Amino acid sequence: MNRLEDYLREHAQSSPQRIAFQNSDGILTYSELWTAVCERASEIESETSRVYVLRSAHDFDFIIDYFAAHKAGKVVVPLEKDLPDAQFQGILELTSQADMPGDVTDILFTTGTTGKQKGTMISQGIIIYDAENLIDAQGFSSDLTFIITGPLNHIGSLSKIWPSIIVGASIYIMDGLKDLPAFFKVVKDAPWKVATFQVPATLRMMIQFGEKQLRDCSEKFDFIETGAAPISQSDMEKLCELLPHTRLYNTYASTETGIIATHNFNGGYCVAGCLGKPMKHSALTIDDDGFIVCQGKTLMIGYCGDLDETNRVLRDNKIFTKDKGILDEEGRLQLAGRDGDIINVGGFKVNPVEVEDAAQSMPEIDDCICIPSPHPVLGTALGLLYVVKEGLSIKKKALAKHLASKLEGHKVPQLYTQVDKVERTYNGKLNRKAYMTG
Amino acid sequence: MKEHIRTLLEDLLPLVDLDSDFLFAELDSLGVTTILMVLSQEYGIELEAKDATPKNLRSLDSIVEMVNRRLAEK
Repeated sequence: MNRLEDYLREHAQSSPQRIAFQNSDGILTYSELWTAVCERASEIESETSRVYVLRSAHDFDFIIDYFAAHKAGKVVVPLEKDLPDAQFQGILELTSQADMPGDVTDILFTTGTTGKQKGTMISQGIIIYDAENLIDAQGFSSDLTFIITGPLNHIGSLSKIWPSIIVGASIYIMDGLKDLPAFFKVVKDAPWKVATFQVPATLRMMIQFGEKQLRDCSEKFDFIETGAAPISQSDMEKLCELLPHTRLYNTYASTETGIIATHNFNGGYCVAGCLGKPMKHSALTIDDDGFIVCQGKTLMIGYCGDLDETNRVLRDNKIFTKDKGILDEEGRLQLAGRDGDIINVGGFKVNPVEVEDAAQSMPEIDDCICIPSPHPVLGTALGLLYVVKEGLSIKKKALAKHLASKLEGHKVPQLYTQVDKVERTYNGKLNRKAYMTG
Repeated sequence: MKEHIRTLLEDLLPLVDLDSDFLFAELDSLGVTTILMVLSQEYGIELEAKDATPKNLRSLDSIVEMVNRRLAEK
């Protein structure tokens, strides 16, 4: 079997009543899912375009569409549910017109290594290798409920659906973690052990406001994976204390590289930044400048419609990242930071230029800069310092609403400060370093 | 108290309509956490995950009720 849908069909035949997906509205067994996928695929097949662009949602329709579009031989392009219409149309045009290799099955849009939105092309082969990496390294099994709370167009969530479907596990989908009592109820009510992926910011939130519930559920968690942003040493140690029998993984992955390395920090070596050894289909090295270079079967095919950027990042079957790291004496990757202006907010990478461009499109704004600001939950939040044109005024709420109409939710700053001027360098460029050093 | 809480939250959650009777639906996990954090610090009360229910965070009035309940339990 070399496609996700082959595994789906297999489980529908061998374990038809097993729950494939569940949410607050109900359940979808493997049999029901496969039937719905086949019906929907026959409708999608008749569409002329090779690409199938859809907004992600935490409902069964999205799940059915995702698998059905694969089955119908389409290239699936799942997008963020709150993506502004103009950007949706832009992506639709880009993906419809671009030349792409025949084995492309998914295009995942990401901020990428430079912060510009890019369509990362992957194949079913890459999906299966990513899934096998996780099954082998983290122990996905059929008697597991994996709880997904993140956006379903993101590799952090999709890459948990893939191994779960291969092993025949159950997946519970929730729209975010704002209802923590509901999350812990799902954990308690699950028929067997549970696993979940949470970015460091949501783990921080659980520790801060759900410590008792975490402790009460400690026997139910088989494993928890984190990644996408650095997790603090103190949060790692607290999680080990609250969940002594749970495997706690910190993973190195990106849309471009696939799932590369993982480390169980509840297994005797609990050190912030340690991301473990490469998984079975992956390899990594550190280049002369200290940047992480990834190899293996999970690397992307390229960026959709952007050969120059593809050649800049992907050469000689290697992806050259902007992450800095070292390999310790055991061969484990230790992350040492990131190069460039990209701001990581709760696991989402944001290019500040995109935010500044959106703010500058307001007639009242004279100048602005988007900067990383300390935040008690996220670690880092987006802050916007802005200068208002003389004689004009603008309310923070109006500015925030304007940005929300232009950008995805995670790119809208949380903090707004009106200032007299924004620091620029002698040649007129924004002086980001002045704000990075405080 | 209601107006004080409104001022506190307005600055931190500029996109949220605090006059909505469907406030919980407007919030994301960061918004919920921000409310719990700000109120526990401001009023010296202990708020935890079980307080972050759709009922408690339905509106600004229900948030005020929750804070008053916790203050009475102190």
